[in-house]
Amino acid sequence: MLPIGKFFSARNNKKKRYNYESANKLAMTLIIPSMLVMGFVIIYPLLRAFYLSFFNYKLTRPDQFSFSLTDNYARIINDQVFWIAFKNTIVFTFFTVAIGLLLGLIMAIALDQLSQRLEGLRGLVLVPWVIPGIVVGYLFMYIFDVEVGILNYTLQQLGIIQDYLPWLMRDQLAMIAIIVAHVWNQAPFYMLMFAVSLKAIPEDVKEAAYVEGASRWQEFFHVTFPYLKGTFVIASLLMVIRNFNNFPIIFTMTGGGPVYSTTTSVIYIYRKAFEQFDLGYASAIGIVWVVILLLISVIYVRSLQKDF
Amino acid sequence: MIVIKRRFSWVWSGIIGLTIIFSLVWTLFPIFWMFSTSLKSNIDIFKVPPSLWPSQITYGNYENLGGGITPIWTFFTNSVITSLGTLVLAVVLATFAGYALSRMKFVLRKPILMGVLVTQMFPLVVLLIPLYLVFLKANLLNTYTGLILAFTSFTLPFSIWMIKGFVDSVPVEIEQAAMVDGCSRMQAMIRVCLPLIVPGIVATSVFAFLDAWNNLLFPLVLVNDIGMKTLPPGMIIAFGGEFKHDWGGMMAASTIVAVPVIIVFVLLQRYLVAGMTSGSVKG
Repeated sequence: MLPIGKFFSARNNKKKRYNYESANKLAMTLIIPSMLVMGFVIIYPLLRAFYLSFFNYKLTRPDQFSFSLTDNYARIINDQVFWIAFKNTIVFTFFTVAIGLLLGLIMAIALDQLSQRLEGLRGLVLVPWVIPGIVVGYLFMYIFDVEVGILNYTLQQLGIIQDYLPWLMRDQLAMIAIIVAHVWNQAPFYMLMFAVSLKAIPEDVKEAAYVEGASRWQEFFHVTFPYLKGTFVIASLLMVIRNFNNFPIIFTMTGGGPVYSTTTSVIYIYRKAFEQFDLGYASAIGIVWVVILLLISVIYVRSLQKDF
Repeated sequence: MIVIKRRFSWVWSGIIGLTIIFSLVWTLFPIFWMFSTSLKSNIDIFKVPPSLWPSQITYGNYENLGGGITPIWTFFTNSVITSLGTLVLAVVLATFAGYALSRMKFVLRKPILMGVLVTQMFPLVVLLIPLYLVFLKANLLNTYTGLILAFTSFTLPFSIWMIKGFVDSVPVEIEQAAMVDGCSRMQAMIRVCLPLIVPGIVATSVFAFLDAWNNLLFPLVLVNDIGMKTLPPGMIIAFGGEFKHDWGGMMAASTIVAVPVIIVFVLLQRYLVAGMTSGSVKG
């Protein structure tokens, strides 16, 4: 709060009406509706999921409902598919975020050079960010299709591949395909974040670098980059969390297949819970993910508070 | 002031120019391809070499979406109703909460603030399991109310965080002056502060709307009556299984889902850009 606020409330101490900062009752009335909704749709479900994770609870076999502190968690450790999904999530998240950051940075720097008149182009480049996940999924399923996909045709015309590749039907190719689709969808976000920080770099710093004889590369690594470091950290943490939870694009493009090769943790939890109705076990996996995400969130919140 | 700029270099400008062209093609080609395919007949779609633009424009793909197994206009209506409902609920709640969190000191302020930030990061699929059980018991499955509540769980924390950021940027002195002039605390908020953050409220509304519009996971689980499905799960039904290769229909449906979003974005871009970065940059 600004010092003037303190001055103000001190001066009006007697007349409580003017006490600006402390307003417990009013604040509570304003905030309680939100807390009720969040309690009902976030906090309660979370606690219930934690509770469920200690039960053998299958919707299809209600007679087998039983408590066990460790059963589900022990099952996770021995569940090979869980570990495949774990690995897939890490690989998928790492590459989408790394490539997205790089591409977003390049696009931001290039578009930053545009003159005022062409600013509209920057807006155009942002469009993929708002395209619904399901549309991105189907669109890239079509582009990557083995027979009618435009990608196979283009690559063949360019002489990069001999025969059409069955992108969505082979392990690693499918992973590449879903990463490309996500990068297309997300690169504008990084671009925007970098564009905002590039605008914040004072002209005279760059000017000084030039006068001192720095090349463009040196200018980038020693002048521009330090200004972007904070954005780098924040944007990548945020998107790591987001991609850990990503569902629609993978679900529509590959459904987690072929076999388990693009099954991420979210897809796995979904299939366990809503296709096999193994609610107890699915909750246990979910709780493990919540813990992992909480750890990352703590780092994220810390870096938000730190002034880069 | 004279700013000394680098000398013009053909190589550098060439690289920048190529990068810009690449960015535009990379961004816009898939969208163009979706639209173009949606206007193609099957003959055009399977033609080798593929043509960029249909040899003859047909609207058949759109016409076929209306009836039969893909009542897309029903899905569309459901999407509009639930997304608008989410927008209203989330934005009204978030405006009050965001204002209180920004302006007032009260017990639990810090923990609530932290909670709002952290809950944005929970995997939705975990919340969905208990939510499904609760909705089952409370008869909220297959209802607009249920969907709106579920969408709000996703949107509300982010909306609160955004509104708080916008209120933070309004100088507190303006409201204090209003109160000296005889406004009550509530009047100062509604008459003085809220008009100043209208752009922020617009941005938050659009994000709430988009979140609900784009959500696939919740309606997929919480709705099984086909007449209550929204667009994303509706598309899953329409193009799963045997219809998987109806590319024209698929792209037509995709266009219908994407166009409202693109229009909203283009019209309100100025407001949105501020919002897109505020959630994460402002601490």
